[in-house]
Amino acid sequence: MREVYAVGVGITSFTRLEYPLSEIAAYPAMMALKDAGLSKVDHVYVANMAAARLNHQSGLASAVVDTLSLTPAGAEVIENGPASGASALKQGYMAIASGLHDVVLVTGAERLREVNNLEATDAVATLSHPLAEYIYGVTLPSLAAMFTRLYMQKYGVTERHLAMVAVKNHDNALLNFYAHLHEKVTLEGILDSPEAMTNNPYVAEPLRFFDCCPVSDGGACVILASAEVAKKLKKPLVRLAGVGQATDSHCVHERAEPTDLLAVRGAAAQAFKMAGVTPSDVNVAELHDAFTILEIAESEEVGFFKKGQGHLALERGETRIGGKLPINTSGGLKAKGHPVGATGVGQAHEIILQLRGEAEKRQVKDAKIGFTCNFGGFGNNVVCLVFKREN
Amino acid sequence: MALEIYAYKCRKCGQLHYPYRMVCKKCGKNDVFEFDTVPLPKNGKLLTFTTVHNLPPDFNVAKLTLGIVELENGMRVTGQLKAPSPKMGMRVTGKVEIVREAEYSKNFGFVFYPG
Ligand SMILES: [Zn+2]
Repeated sequence: MREVYAVGVGITSFTRLEYPLSEIAAYPAMMALKDAGLSKVDHVYVANMAAARLNHQSGLASAVVDTLSLTPAGAEVIENGPASGASALKQGYMAIASGLHDVVLVTGAERLREVNNLEATDAVATLSHPLAEYIYGVTLPSLAAMFTRLYMQKYGVTERHLAMVAVKNHDNALLNFYAHLHEKVTLEGILDSPEAMTNNPYVAEPLRFFDCCPVSDGGACVILASAEVAKKLKKPLVRLAGVGQATDSHCVHERAEPTDLLAVRGAAAQAFKMAGVTPSDVNVAELHDAFTILEIAESEEVGFFKKGQGHLALERGETRIGGKLPINTSGGLKAKGHPVGATGVGQAHEIILQLRGEAEKRQVKDAKIGFTCNFGGFGNNVVCLVFKREN
Repeated sequence: MALEIYAYKCRKCGQLHYPYRMVCKKCGKNDVFEFDTVPLPKNGKLLTFTTVHNLPPDFNVAKLTLGIVELENGMRVTGQLKAPSPKMGMRVTGKVEIVREAEYSKNFGFVFYPG
């Protein structure tokens, strides 16, 4: 297989965006083409989950490739729920590694806020099993909540640990211009004060408002290229060195140990093996903290910490910027935002900036190896990526 | 007639599935759709639960409690829970009732009660 490099990046603010979905996908692509110094690509992948359902638009990739005047390049939508972004990057990886293409543009976009929050929550809830989960009113927050209760009982994670994830990621988002929530939060405000119950009500007990990511619109783009192309461009060389993906039972209730996230474990192990590195080599990571508990659980499943000890590393400050392994420097889904189809591309965008040394006030010093975990469904389809800085 | 929800038993190896599979998750034999339906038990214990406050538009209630129940044969199901103060590990009994109603559809599913 040929080596694959990330040569250009672009992003929109993750927020409420009042312009058409195809433009949300195209705008970061224009930025990425400019960043890379390219004007042509061989192929376009558009990561998106809900265009047909929420935005009344099908065949989004055909619209995007034309909006960008990149025709006649091939173009497809890649849909893998909340992991659509990393799945699209994986498709781009395969296209270049195989020798089929030399330059592939991967852009992710979602416009959830064209509808109200409850309709958006329902659209995402259709990821659950239609007959054995969805009919009951199961939503992603409710699956995360039931998981959290088990995690608390088994490993001693408390509401305070969950709130610490929120505080950390909101702090990081304050350093990221493109983040959805620029709002400092404190343990006092969301947990300890008499007003905490008003500031931070339960969404799905024991998860509260500040344990859940916002509903965001947004787009993000990464351009992938062969070594031959990448070495002619003027950017620092960042290689997509490892790609892993694994699935797990559709219904959460069928998992033998319901506190395990086996698809996260499997996808991460594959990505590390392919890249020839171990979890302890990673300098910076973006994990899929759609709910605060997930940052803790994923930090264990991918191998950064022993199972049941992620919350202790968090307590010790190891996952803060300046700590041993900063996690979610961008603000994470929690505070940077979660425009579903764009999220995985957005994670890669952050890691590429970090490895280039372009992450400004949130830069992790000398970051050489970065990792992303993009979590689909409630962990039934997970894609992990490892990026390496060269030269 | 009491409504039932069924587990799907592989005719080759006996593995029970809920929800159904087209192919057995244990033996992987899939020449034809070879499963027998077996009613799921109704009694079990509550493994975990949550009270949800932001429900999809189909639900005209402010909040709803959901749970995962381990049935007495060891199989697990997700369902709605009608218990004033749910606790992990509590004994529950299931009934099959309407759990979701939209304009053109009625869905039946498990509702669990204490006891
Ligand atoms: Zn079988």
